[in-house]
Amino acid sequence: MSDLLSVHEVTKVFGGVRAVDGASLSVKEGTITALIGPNGSGKTTLFNIITGYLKADAGRVEFAGHDVTGSDPGRLYRQGLSRTFQQARIFPQLTVQENLVVAGGYGWRKLFTSRVGREDRLRADSLLEEFRLDRVSDLFASELSYGQRKLLEFAAVLMSSPRLVLLDEPTAGVNPVLIETMERHVRERNAEGITFLIVEHDMTFVMRLCDPVIVLDAGKPIFAGAPSVVQNNALVLDAYLGS
Amino acid sequence: MSAPSMLRGGVFVALLVTLPMLGLQHWFLNLLVFVLIYATLSSSWNLVGGFAGYPSLGHAGFFGIGAYTLALIFKDHVLATGYEPFLLLPVVGLIGALIGWPIAVISMRTRADVFAIVTITFLFVIQTLAFNLHDLTGGSQGTALPIPPFSAAQFEVPFYYVMVALLLFTMGLTFATMRSKLGLSLVSIRADEDKARGVGVRVIGVKVLAFSVSVGITSMVGAVWAYYESFIYPQFAVDPLITIAMVLMTFLGGRGTLWGPVLGAVILESGQQLLTYQLGAVQLYLIVYALIFLVIILLLPRGILPTIEDRLRLRSRRRRADAEGAATAVWPKDTAISSEADHANMLGGGAT
Repeated sequence: MSDLLSVHEVTKVFGGVRAVDGASLSVKEGTITALIGPNGSGKTTLFNIITGYLKADAGRVEFAGHDVTGSDPGRLYRQGLSRTFQQARIFPQLTVQENLVVAGGYGWRKLFTSRVGREDRLRADSLLEEFRLDRVSDLFASELSYGQRKLLEFAAVLMSSPRLVLLDEPTAGVNPVLIETMERHVRERNAEGITFLIVEHDMTFVMRLCDPVIVLDAGKPIFAGAPSVVQNNALVLDAYLGS
Repeated sequence: MSAPSMLRGGVFVALLVTLPMLGLQHWFLNLLVFVLIYATLSSSWNLVGGFAGYPSLGHAGFFGIGAYTLALIFKDHVLATGYEPFLLLPVVGLIGALIGWPIAVISMRTRADVFAIVTITFLFVIQTLAFNLHDLTGGSQGTALPIPPFSAAQFEVPFYYVMVALLLFTMGLTFATMRSKLGLSLVSIRADEDKARGVGVRVIGVKVLAFSVSVGITSMVGAVWAYYESFIYPQFAVDPLITIAMVLMTFLGGRGTLWGPVLGAVILESGQQLLTYQLGAVQLYLIVYALIFLVIILLLPRGILPTIEDRLRLRSRRRRADAEGAATAVWPKDTAISSEADHANMLGGGAT
C-alpha cells in the first residue's frame, strides 16, 4: 500500500507554545488510521494544518503524491481530502438536505442552477436514508440534536466522494448506539476504498476500528503500530499516565 | 414556483401598476416614490447584508456615485423627452458595480464589525471627495441635473414606474438568488464562512459578485433619486442615514428574505413621512418612530417575516405531532443534546 498522506517535519508555534514540533507521519491508502494522544498533544492542530485551515511554520504535507502544503481547504476538498470537526460544524440556517447539497461541491457553471436539483436530491436523499436522517431532511439543521448533527456532518463529507476523510473525535458526546452507527459507516466506507485518519479519545472505539495507531505527544509522534502493541508500549503509557 | 407565491407576486405587481391610476394626490405619489426608492435600496442591500451576512455600511457611497454619475453624464444637456436619463440607468449600474468590484475584493477580506468599519470608511472617503472635487461635483454648492420636462400634473408618475421596474428587477434577482446554488452558497457563508470554504464553496467569488450586483443596483437608485430631485448636495447624496435606513428596514422586515426588506421599507419610510406630516417639522416624529421600532424589535427580534414564519412552522408541526402521536412525530427542537429515545427513534427503535 502506498502513502496517501505524508507529513514531513511539520512545526506550528503559537506564541511560546510548540503545538506541533517537527511531526512526521504517513497514512497508507485504504487504512483506518488513528491519531491519539493526551489533551494538548497537537492532534487537532495537525489536522488543521493537513486540511489547510492553518498554515504550518515549517514542514511539508503531501497528499496523493502532490505537495499540498498551505493549500486552500476548498482546493484540498475538491482533490478528495475532507474532514469533520470536534464540535460538529453544520450550516444551521440550511435544511438537512441543503447541508448535503452545499457539501457536494459545484463549480461556477452550476452556481446559477437550481438550489437543489434533481441529481442533488437523489444523491443527498440516498445518503440521508443510509444515515437514517431522511425523516428530518426538510428540517433546518439548527433543529437537530447533537448526535444527529455529528451524523449529518459525516454524511456531508461523503457527498464529495473523498479519498481521505479526517474525523476529529467522531464519538465525542455521542451515545453508545450512535457510536456503533458511526463505526459501521466508517467500516462500510473503508471497504469501498475511502481512507480514514481519526482523532479519538475513546480507546475502545480506536482499538476496535483502527490499525495502525499513531500516538502523538508534545507535538510529535512517539509511536506507531498495531493497536495491541500500542496498548502495552511503555512510551505510550508514560505519555498518558505519566512516569 | 408555488401557486400562493405566484398569486402573491401577481397581486403585488397589479397593485403597484394600478396605484397611480387611482388619482392619488401629489404628496401621496411622492411618498410612494420614496417608499419604492427605499424598498429597492433595502432589497439590494439584502443581497450582501442579508444573504451573505456582510453588514455593509458603505452603500450610501454608491448611492452618491450613481447620483453624481448621472449628473456628470447630463451636465449642460437639454432633455428632449425626459426619458433619456432612465435609458442610461444600466450604464450607471455597471459603473457602480465596476467600482464596487475592487472595493469588495479588498474589504471582504475582513468580516463582521471590521467589515462594517472598512465600508463606512469608504463612505466617508466618497463624501469627502464629493465635497472637495469641485469641478466634478460642485462641492458643497451642489450640482444641478436637467429639469425633467414632465407636466406638473403627472410629474411623479414616470419616476414611480421606473422605481417599480427597478424594485421588481431587484426582487426578481433576489428570488433567482434564493432559488439557485448562489443563494445556497451565500447562506452557507453567512452561517460559517470557514466551513463553507472548506467544503469547496467559491467564497471570495460569490461574495464579490453579490457585493458588486448589490452596489450596482444602489447606484441606479441613486441616479433616479438625483434626477427626481434635480439638484444634489453632497451631504444628501452621500448620507450615512441612507445606509442606516437600508439596514434598519432589512432587519425589521427580515434579512435574507424576499419580502422582508420591502415590508420594512413600507413600514418605516411611510411611517416616517406620515408622522412628519402629522407632527410637523419639530422632529417629534423621531420619538414615535423610535418607539415603534423598539417595540417591534423587542417582540420580533429576527424581523417580522421570519418570526411569523417560525410561529407558523411551529404551529403546523404541533398539529402534525398531535395527528401522528407525540412519541414519533416531535423532533427535538430546543435540545442541544439528544436523548436515548431520539436515537432509538432515529435508528428505527429497539435501542436500549
